Amino acid sequence: MSFPFLIWLFIFKYVPIWGWTIAFQDFKPAKKIFDQKWVGWKHFEALFKEDAFFRVLRNTLAMSGINLVLGFVTAILLAIMLNELRHAFFKRLVQTISYMPHFISWVVAASIISTVLSSDGGIINELLMALGLIKEPILWLGVGHYFWGILGASEVWKNVGWNTIVYLAAMTMIDPSQYEAAEMDGAGRFKRIWHITLPGLKPVIIILLIMNVGNILETGFEPQYLLGNGMNLDYSENLDLFVLRYGISMGNFSLAAAAGIFKTVVSFILLFSANGIAKRFGEARLF
Amino acid sequence: MAKNKWWSIGLALALTGSLIAGCSKATDKTESKPSDSASAPASASASASAEQSQKPLDKVTFTYFNGVAGKKDRNTNETTIGKALEDQTGVNFKMEFLVGDLNTKIGTFIASNEYPDVLVPDAAIDKVIDAGGFIDLAPYIEKYPNLKRVYGPYLKQMTSSDGKIYILPFSTVVGDFVPDPNINQGAFWVQRRVLKEAGYPKIKTLDEYFKLVEDYVNKHKDENLTGFLTLTHDWRFFATSNPPMHLQGYPNDGNVIVDMNTHEAKTYAGTDATKQWLQKLNELNAKGLFDKASFVDNYDQYIAKLASHKVVGFFDYGWQINNAQLNLQDAAKKDPAQDDFVYFPLPVTFDGGKDQYLDPPGFVKNRGLGVTVSAKDPDRIMAFFDTLLKEDNQIMKSWGIKGETYEVDDKGRFYRTKEEITKIDEAFREQFGFKYFDWDWPMYNTNSTLADGNALAPALQPEVFQMNLTDKDKEILGKYGVQTYSEMFSPPDPRPWYPAWGIPKEQGSPQQIWETKKDEVTKKYFPKIVLASPDKFESEWQAYLKEFGKLDTAGYEKWYTEQIKGILDSLK
Repeated sequence: MSFPFLIWLFIFKYVPIWGWTIAFQDFKPAKKIFDQKWVGWKHFEALFKEDAFFRVLRNTLAMSGINLVLGFVTAILLAIMLNELRHAFFKRLVQTISYMPHFISWVVAASIISTVLSSDGGIINELLMALGLIKEPILWLGVGHYFWGILGASEVWKNVGWNTIVYLAAMTMIDPSQYEAAEMDGAGRFKRIWHITLPGLKPVIIILLIMNVGNILETGFEPQYLLGNGMNLDYSENLDLFVLRYGISMGNFSLAAAAGIFKTVVSFILLFSANGIAKRFGEARLF
Repeated sequence: MAKNKWWSIGLALALTGSLIAGCSKATDKTESKPSDSASAPASASASASAEQSQKPLDKVTFTYFNGVAGKKDRNTNETTIGKALEDQTGVNFKMEFLVGDLNTKIGTFIASNEYPDVLVPDAAIDKVIDAGGFIDLAPYIEKYPNLKRVYGPYLKQMTSSDGKIYILPFSTVVGDFVPDPNINQGAFWVQRRVLKEAGYPKIKTLDEYFKLVEDYVNKHKDENLTGFLTLTHDWRFFATSNPPMHLQGYPNDGNVIVDMNTHEAKTYAGTDATKQWLQKLNELNAKGLFDKASFVDNYDQYIAKLASHKVVGFFDYGWQINNAQLNLQDAAKKDPAQDDFVYFPLPVTFDGGKDQYLDPPGFVKNRGLGVTVSAKDPDRIMAFFDTLLKEDNQIMKSWGIKGETYEVDDKGRFYRTKEEITKIDEAFREQFGFKYFDWDWPMYNTNSTLADGNALAPALQPEVFQMNLTDKDKEILGKYGVQTYSEMFSPPDPRPWYPAWGIPKEQGSPQQIWETKKDEVTKKYFPKIVLASPDKFESEWQAYLKEFGKLDTAGYEKWYTEQIKGILDSLK
């Protein structure tokens, strides 16, 4: 049964690795492989010598880090709170509303965000002015160092509901008799969460953490592309945008491929180290 | 069984073909070869194509991909114009338009080496040429009379460095050059009510212009107006970085200005002209007249602001603000009181000297249409283009059908009646095909004239332009003593290289990298410079200069100067 799957895996996941060769060429489309000029590590050197590269790398790591931490914390918190709700209708309502934004495309979401943050009647500015916290509207998207925060908040708004689903599923696997026993022993609500729910979630949390660490260089590029502008460029441009700007739109596919390989290698190292650490501490792990 | 049947039909065809070919031996040169079994099908098709020129042609459908988004996919023969062309040539095109990202789409074509028959690659032209996606069109241009007539004078400019012609441009002027009575190019725009209130002053310099804006805003404090706005979103950033070029009295050559005598190309992004422009914006900002959100708004928000009646003035190119301006004009047509909010273009320069906002007759070399290596029958396609370029068909594609969409008066001038003008709305343009054959096909340049002196484009025919004007339009034009908007501006000087931005640059070349980096630097520093408090202006400008200085600007200018000299030499 697994044989067709292996073929699929080979064709779609391993054959394309052949494309990595273009990172070592001055690649010209439509020419045959033997007509390409091989240039060794030139494109990697160009990548690492580029001033913008490290700024871009910093942004990528920072944004991923923020998303990772915020994403986990908020999703777990929301899942626990939902789990404690006894009123089924209210629970479903909260769940539905919170995972709705997940289905909005980033293009639409970015419009909503920039409208909300607009200095011209945007609700955030209006609210802050009404409360007397600020005197003039703030150009939220025009101040570079606000960008990471705005992005983190947007990601939470968009994905928190969706991310809770897996935790809620994991919670249903916890044996209810444990809660009953704890209650008999006089554990309050918070004690029960701390000593039963959270340890029950631990394997799921660790597996997801390992997988996400592997993806830390993948911040996605849509929100950054759609919300970025000249004024926050220093903080919004990430690796994918860098590749898009200096590689693909300039027809420099070799540089794009080199950046792609760099990403893969880093992800690979991160994934293995996270898994190794989990193994050492005797926790659940990916492989 | 089925296989056998097709085989025998094929054989029968080949035999009949060779029979016909044998009979017409006297006229058919290919038959002089010794006839063996292999050459039989070849000669059959040769004689078939010889017959095609007399008999009505078989219907054939080609694919056409346009790298510009915004139109619905359609067959040409579903439009009135396309149907008429199909009747003449038997050719139909299945038109497809871009959805999503141009580079991605073109990249897919290139990677698979499978293209539509006809491709309009828009900005990705160099990529397709680099990848060998287009066929050489030179032999066809020689062969067909209309192609020869329209492109003949421009062959040198159309030929690429390897001596071949891959692209049929859309910008070859046929006949005389008719200027556009409207302003589709750059201008400093201002609400009409501002001019009205100030008593229609002649505004020539940037200082006068900003004074006008400032006075108006100060007088109407309670209306919460925005004095000045700029467009910065994404690739449209040039609307903010180009004005120093125009303010010095040059047309839109892109990143360089070209000296009329020495033909040296110079960039201006790091010069005093740019400093002066940014300083003005900085002053405006300090006075609270500049909309800070200019640097974060996207294009839609920008257009929405222009349509909101709140923005007093801005600089931009007419084609970019069309959506807002048309809305304002439509409203003004229904209710003349709304005319106050329509924007009026002004030819503003630093010193009030001669402006060059209007496009000189130009030749855009890096936009056009090509036939790809995947095309099934390039000859048939080129024959279609030849037919399309017949004068009658050019009249049909821009004026339509006599008695239906235009009239001819006793002097032979074309015009449209009021009813025809109202009839030709967006839906009609789509159905009739004006919208599809408006651009992006082999065509006379919009500014061309027909053999009888009429303008090719209805909008450029003075009679049609006059009829479209409202009373209010005529009133404001009258105040300035002109008949058309373009008369407000100086006539353009001839610039054979124009527009310099249209000179193709190679993929990943130093010129292209310079442009990408320059865009990045200006996008990053201009907002800082403009929004800085006036005492910080100088230091922000110096920081920008330092960053800008890292680019190989001298190399970029040298490359451009060489290209321009090359164009001038080729015309000698």
